[in-house]
Parts: sequence; structure tokens; C-alpha cells
Amino acid sequence: MSGGLKVELGRRYRFAASHRLHSAQLSPEENFRVYGKCNNPYGHGHNYVVEVSVSGTVDPATGMIVNLADLDGFVEREVIDAFDHKSLNEDVQAFRERVPTTEYVCVEIYQRLKHFRLAKLERVRVEETSNNAFEYAGEEIQDRAAVRQEGKRQ
Amino acid sequence: MVYLTRKVEFSASHLYHNPALSAEENRRIFGKCNNPHGHGHNYSLEVTVAGEPDPVTGMVLDLKELKEILEREIIQRMDHRFLNYEVAELTGQIPTCENIARAIWNLLEPKITQGTLHKVRLYETPDLFAECYRNGAPAR
Repeated sequence: MSGGLKVELGRRYRFAASHRLHSAQLSPEENFRVYGKCNNPYGHGHNYVVEVSVSGTVDPATGMIVNLADLDGFVEREVIDAFDHKSLNEDVQAFRERVPTTEYVCVEIYQRLKHFRLAKLERVRVEETSNNAFEYAGEEIQDRAAVRQEGKRQ
Repeated sequence: MVYLTRKVEFSASHLYHNPALSAEENRRIFGKCNNPHGHGHNYSLEVTVAGEPDPVTGMVLDLKELKEILEREIIQRMDHRFLNYEVAELTGQIPTCENIARAIWNLLEPKITQGTLHKVRLYETPDLFAECYRNGAPAR
């Protein structure tokens, strides 16, 4: 067998929020073409599910990677309090510059949780609806807008 | 490589208590899971086996065989049991989701001879689960 055994803990959280998909870099026609009804100027909402996976050593005294109360408290403070019953576009600073697609919601949640000191954040999965899910594990994000601008200049 | 996952469920009771800690510490760390009479869950177990399909049967392993291994090794041991007192593999451990998942990995790994055990995911509730896999194995 290759490496030792790795143990992860996974926990699911929920928040409800509204958003509107609209890119300042696109014309009104392009925005409507790309985002369709998600471009509705008044926005719309979802019940999001956030699945957080952390890893670490299982403490023999407690049988735990991390005490759930500590993980829950951290996720509540960093993510749920900031996102639940909010307009992602208006109320979350990161989405004043970035379109709040669930790809970027997933990345933003990862950025907020990666500083957790009691266990290692492995990945974040966000379900926008029961049919759409996104996962991010800290990989480098290529700035495609910059790539597109670069392409236009050439 | 193809990954095959089979799901089984079992119901069991447990409690969290470390005799090396004081009563107050036990209550502080484990909260209501420290109730001396225990409490129970419907556990849901997902077992993933990795392998190449046999060119003759098209199977990574015979599902019926996997079902029998899970029945014999896990269900008969853990279903409708008090995990602290009735499961030898958990003796001396706090039966958290992490420790149960690891005990299940250790029980299953030597029994799976067609393909290799890739991942064990154990749900204690729909919102809480633990996962075991080999370091370096691709997460999936």
C-alpha cells in the first residue's frame, strides 16, 4: 500500500442568499446572452449547501480531528453570518468585483476558511441547487478576464 | 481505473466518554454526546473500490461478493449494537465518526481482494461524515 491512512471530517451547512449574474466587462446584450434569466436586474435567490472537508490527526483522547463545536463556530462566523439572508452582490465585498457565480462563491468560501487553525481545510463544495454542485480545493485560479483582455490587445 | 461505490446502512448507539478526563471535562468536550446512557444514529456507509473491469465479466469485482463482505464484516458487527460495549475493534476508543470510519477501513481492506479499497465514507447524520483513504490517492 502506498501512503498511510488519511482521515477527513465532512460537515454540511446551509445559507439562503440572492444574487445577480452580471459582468461589468460585458455589454447588456452579452450579459443577457451569457447569463440568461440569471441576469434579471432584480436578482433571485437560492438555498445554498456548503460542504466543508477538513483533515488532521485523530486525537486519541477525543477520537476527533477537530471538535465540531469549534468547526461550526468558525464556519458560522466566517461564512454563514456573512452570507445568510444577504444579497451576495451588495453585501459581500468580494462580489463587488467578481460575479457571484457559484464557482466564485465556492472560491470565496475556501479563502475565508483556509485560515482555520485547528484542522487542515481540504476542500469546499457548494450546492447551488440540488442539481448544481461546485468544488474547490485551493488550486490556482487563472484570471480569464485578464487572458481575454490580453487576447483583444494582440 | 474505474471506481465502484456500494452503500449500506446500519443503526447503532454510542456515547463519548474518556475515563482519563474528569466528569466536567467530558461534559465540556463532548457535550450531549456524553450522556451516560448513550444515544443512537442511522449510519450510512459508502465503500468505494478501485480497479480495472475484468474483460470477461466487465466487473471490477462481483457486487454480490462486496455485499456479502459488508454484511459479514460491518452489518453483523455493528447493526443494532452499542458501539462502545459490543464492537471489539472500537474498544478503548471514543466511537466518533472518525474512529468508526477508520475501524471499518481496517476491517474491509484485507477482505477486498479484487480491486483495492479506495475510500470509506461514513455518514453519522446527513450533515456529518468522516472519510478514509490512502495518503496520495486521488480524492473522488
